[in-house]
Amino acid sequence: MSYNFYDFQNAIQQRNDYVEDQLRDGSPVIGISCPDGIVLFTLRGSQRKLFEVYDRIAYGAMGRQSDVESIRIASIDTAHREGFQRSEDDVCLSRLVGFGISPAVKQVYNDQRAVPLTIRALYAELHDNGSDDVFCTLNYDGEYRISKGSAVITGVRSADDSAKELLKDACPSSRDEAIKVAAKVWAHAYTAMRHARKPGGDVDENGVRLTPDAAFKGALDKGLMLEAAFLTRSTSRTSRFECCTPEVVSAAVAGLDFG
Amino acid sequence: MDVSLLHPKSGDFAAITGFTLADANQNVTSTSNGLASEPVHGTTVIAVKFKDGVLTVGDRRATGGNAIMYDKAEKVLALDDTMLMAISGAFSKAIEFVRFLRHSFKYYERSQLQPLSLDGKLNEIGRLMAGNLAGAMSGGLVVPVIAVYDHKQAAGRIFFYDAAGARFENLEYAAAGSGSVQIRGAFEYIVRTKGNFSEMTLESALAEALHLLEIAADLDSATGGAGKVLPLARTVTAAGVTEISDDAIRAALGASTTTATSI
Repeated sequence: MSYNFYDFQNAIQQRNDYVEDQLRDGSPVIGISCPDGIVLFTLRGSQRKLFEVYDRIAYGAMGRQSDVESIRIASIDTAHREGFQRSEDDVCLSRLVGFGISPAVKQVYNDQRAVPLTIRALYAELHDNGSDDVFCTLNYDGEYRISKGSAVITGVRSADDSAKELLKDACPSSRDEAIKVAAKVWAHAYTAMRHARKPGGDVDENGVRLTPDAAFKGALDKGLMLEAAFLTRSTSRTSRFECCTPEVVSAAVAGLDFG
Repeated sequence: MDVSLLHPKSGDFAAITGFTLADANQNVTSTSNGLASEPVHGTTVIAVKFKDGVLTVGDRRATGGNAIMYDKAEKVLALDDTMLMAISGAFSKAIEFVRFLRHSFKYYERSQLQPLSLDGKLNEIGRLMAGNLAGAMSGGLVVPVIAVYDHKQAAGRIFFYDAAGARFENLEYAAAGSGSVQIRGAFEYIVRTKGNFSEMTLESALAEALHLLEIAADLDSATGGAGKVLPLARTVTAAGVTEISDDAIRAALGASTTTATSI
């Protein structure tokens, strides 16, 4: 049986549709720099979504939990192998994702006999100056993008655009301010994802369009939990990564105007 | 493109790095400079409890045979926020141990999403020691003293190992290295005349430990005194690992000298 160019395109399109469909209902992850460090923020179900990878590298992802875990472990293995066999200073995000994780994800995506990974991931790398902080987003097809200052992953492109627009000029002055900004961006991105599901947008029985405020509260009412992690620029501990306590995150987002 | 990357590992750091203890012969320093034909070692490291945790001090001298090879050797090293390793014996092997253990503990915590237990960490050190037995027999002996803050017991603890990896817990103090033999009785003298180290303040424990280190330097040629380079002192407490400042060490050395003079 012959395999022509159109079959190839169809196969790729079907794989994309399959994964995009799975990611559409996910919870966005936001990463943002502030003078004290880097905040990663999301809302999660029962499983953690934000993790430490290496001394200055953190990771968050949306998608199928088993795939989130396998990319997490692959990232940790790769970073630690490099850090031990060479030096901690030789572990950097661009090499970790660009030469380690991305090609492996791409290979799975290209394998027509394998189920593609259902994942979109966000990495953050802390530097001594906030302006040098590096973010990287990795897609299920192996494509990755490096950015400075902030990054976001969502389930649909329109939500990506609205989140990036909000993050564009954000420069939070502290960890708690960064959590506030990230929560607001999450609410807007999640709202955009909800609207993208239906042709006319997400409206209730009275015809009222879903707002970011209602989307955020609705997500919490549905049982999603706030989750934030922080890579701190100054610490005497050996690890710079810390999971923010629920009290800290709740206090930061209490009374927040989602706009 | 290594797709096997995406197959989860077991949390075994040695497995992912392919770590094996290097051949013992790698410890032998070059003879081309005519100075040393033996592994670089020679030390006195001391760990004493104090009321908030454990204080560990070490001299800075590294020797190869009769030659002083290095005067700024760092022999008191943090493995993580709750554990200090004071190293004596073959320096290169000891540093290899420390690098492996640091990465191994961090790797476990990051991959398994929980810290390795104290017992697990101590067992890992014992496994390394046992794995190095052949190296130890041919000049690569490492004798570590481990200072720990045990959050479960809310107390500092001190452990040492023999060359085969057997673990022992000390009640009040431990010392290792070529100068430790000479000061062994002095520890008992301090405990019997001044009370347990574990009831002392940090200042008192520091003065006593530095005093002991100075005695070791006087009696053992492989142990460096404080005259050229100050000793290294670190504590491990509930708050984590802290390095004692040079000023505090100078002040404590002054206090111990004054005490000695007055006697």
